Amino acid sequence: MTEDKATPANGSILVVGGGISGLTTALEAAEVGYEVFLVEKNPYLGGRVAQLNQYFPKLCPPTCGLEINFRRIKDNPKIKVLTQAEVEKVDGTPGSYDVSVKLSPRYVNENCTCCGDCAEVCETEVSSEFNFGMNSTKGAYLPFEMAFPTRYVISPQIIGTDDAKKCQEACKYDAVELDMEAKSLNLKVGAIVWATGWEPYDAAKIDNLGFGQYPNIITNMMMERLAAPNGPTKGKITRPSDNKEPESVAFVQCAGSRDENYLPYCSYICCMASLKQATYIRERYPDAKVYVFYIDVRAPGQRYEKFYQKIKEDENVFLIKGKVAEVSEDAGTGNITVVAENAVTGEKIKQTVEMAVLATGMEPTTATVKLPADLKYNEDGFIINDFEKGGMFAAGCANKPSDVVSANQNATGMALKAIQTLVRK
Amino acid sequence: MTDKYLIEPDVGFIKEVIGLGGDTLKKCFQCATCSVACPISPDTKPFPRKEMIAASWGLKDRLVGNLDIWLCHHCGDCTTMCPRGAKPGEVLGAVRSYAIADYAVPKSVGKAVNDPKKLPILMGIPVVIFIVLGLITGLLDFSPSLGEHGIAHSQFFSTWLVDMIFVPLAIWVVVIFALGLKRFIADIHENAVLEGKTEKKELDLFGFIKAIPSILPTILKHDKFSECSENKDRATAHLMVFWSFVGLFIVTNIFFVVLYVFQQHGPYSQLNPVKWLANVAGVALIIGSALMIKNRLAKKDQTSTYKDWYLLGLVFGLGVTGVLTQATRLAGMAGVTYVIYFIHLIFVFNLFAFLPFSKLAHLVYRTVAMAYNEYSGRQ
Repeated sequence: MTEDKATPANGSILVVGGGISGLTTALEAAEVGYEVFLVEKNPYLGGRVAQLNQYFPKLCPPTCGLEINFRRIKDNPKIKVLTQAEVEKVDGTPGSYDVSVKLSPRYVNENCTCCGDCAEVCETEVSSEFNFGMNSTKGAYLPFEMAFPTRYVISPQIIGTDDAKKCQEACKYDAVELDMEAKSLNLKVGAIVWATGWEPYDAAKIDNLGFGQYPNIITNMMMERLAAPNGPTKGKITRPSDNKEPESVAFVQCAGSRDENYLPYCSYICCMASLKQATYIRERYPDAKVYVFYIDVRAPGQRYEKFYQKIKEDENVFLIKGKVAEVSEDAGTGNITVVAENAVTGEKIKQTVEMAVLATGMEPTTATVKLPADLKYNEDGFIINDFEKGGMFAAGCANKPSDVVSANQNATGMALKAIQTLVRK
Repeated sequence: MTDKYLIEPDVGFIKEVIGLGGDTLKKCFQCATCSVACPISPDTKPFPRKEMIAASWGLKDRLVGNLDIWLCHHCGDCTTMCPRGAKPGEVLGAVRSYAIADYAVPKSVGKAVNDPKKLPILMGIPVVIFIVLGLITGLLDFSPSLGEHGIAHSQFFSTWLVDMIFVPLAIWVVVIFALGLKRFIADIHENAVLEGKTEKKELDLFGFIKAIPSILPTILKHDKFSECSENKDRATAHLMVFWSFVGLFIVTNIFFVVLYVFQQHGPYSQLNPVKWLANVAGVALIIGSALMIKNRLAKKDQTSTYKDWYLLGLVFGLGVTGVLTQATRLAGMAGVTYVIYFIHLIFVFNLFAFLPFSKLAHLVYRTVAMAYNEYSGRQ
């Protein structure tokens, strides 16, 4: 038995997606000695978690978990991180896969010190996808303060312009390489873990909830960005139409979730997310009123239940059982009126608020774009884990809607599944 | 109202509602989207969310004598927006159908009207009555001589015979409705008080009757119906059929008065304005009911059951045989026209005799419910 322990791991593992699940899988596998390739399509790791202001229920910033993970990656030579990378093709069988990965150019090399001189001289601004288009960044930018790899990115939008040249000239470290080209890479791996994550459901598809039509209706992920200190408003929660500090906010639960017309399933996190966001508002604006309209509040488990009970004690938070099915805007004030039936009292409520937040659900990334591998999906686009066949596994929200805790547990399990594939080969 | 409410589910009721087209009712998870989606639901105790849970729990008493099931015009907006495919619109339709059968006595007739196997019997009843009564009285002449203006249906099927059957039939309809309404009005008031839809604890019958004229313009113009967005096309078809019946009702009454007061027989000349009205109404009836049939066939998410087809079939058949009766008479096809006229009378008989038992009874119950709602002062 003692000899087995010393046996070096053979074969490598490919982890697709550098969000919280992918990070966990990669680290768990690497830290027991396996070589891991971590492929991420964005220029940074951290995924959706990086966009959050706080985790529930502890209300600590995501820096907590991410920073430790980035540190572990930095310290672990077994992990190779590939950002701006996407898997193009997967051939082979469990234990032996040939994977081709496409690397898009970052136009910034490892000499970058994040001095920011390139951004200084760049005049063009590009819409910030990280902030859901609520602001823009320079064409040369750092995705966010604690982005890993800690390196600037030059947006392809400014490539070929004078701005790009200015960036290159401004860089004292020769870090800007405008002639960087897309590359293809072939990897031989024994197992693949798909941690491709989720997209916030496109709220504009929900035709009765006014998103995209009225500026003061935002989504829960936009609220995270507004509340985050590194967000477009530096953590100040203001409404989009006039930057007013909202005195009243309505949360619209199940915006698109548990609805056959949109996402038929429960997205699992939105109830907790809204309860958490209620604390964002209440903390900043002591007199603000928060209205949460729900079908039923799903706060699973003892810790979440406790959190819910605590929110319920707040006399400025009103929880109303009844789904919002109609919204309107007062053109003069930009205020939003949400309409629901309070199913407990049997009265129709028309609540006017200064801002409304749609608790939109999770749609797996694979709902719209299928992966270039032989995988099975359920009708909602989540990857079904075929343990019989093995070799390739889905972790985190690629597999089912989940919170960070369960995504991490699931990711750890999938690291073990990947390892087992290599060992049994 | 006591704090405790003991739920006594009527499982048989749930099954019947499911059978009448409410098969989706158990899918409801009470999100209340429907109550907001409904363009005509009131702010106080809106429907149909509460009706959905009552149906799911088998709370028959909360539904059968509930005026809200009648305020619903079945436009389908709630069904379209329902996140669960529970189709509240269809469920309310099924509950209405149950309620009609519940208020109309004898209940066996109501059962027969909702049972496709009994259709031959229902159609056979007028055939037997016509022939037996016709032969006894001698008012049915199978080979009539031509009248002074050519073919006249009264030579074959005497107007005396028609009225001998249809006047008592009209009385029967009125009596059954009166009996049903007596219970219905008391029930919807009791339910409205129980559910907090009205502040008026005691029912003031006079005040209620006074509310009827105020809702008539709404009914005549189908204002409530056209507030629906999902099934706008249905409003047009329904309006056509509704006004055709109004037109034909007027024509029949004029004919009746002219016959018995002025002793003038039909058929009227095509130049007579009464004839114009009759013809326009007849054609509108066919077009309207054909549109309704077409809409129903086209709507895949709408549940159509026997009760729907029975009524649509009768109305369409009534229109077609009516117009054909005249057309074949004008064409001089004596034998054919008498047969069609006979069939036409069978349709008329079915529509009238079973009016309080069929879906058509909505014209009475919905009118009463709308009037009560107006009277109740509900927001």
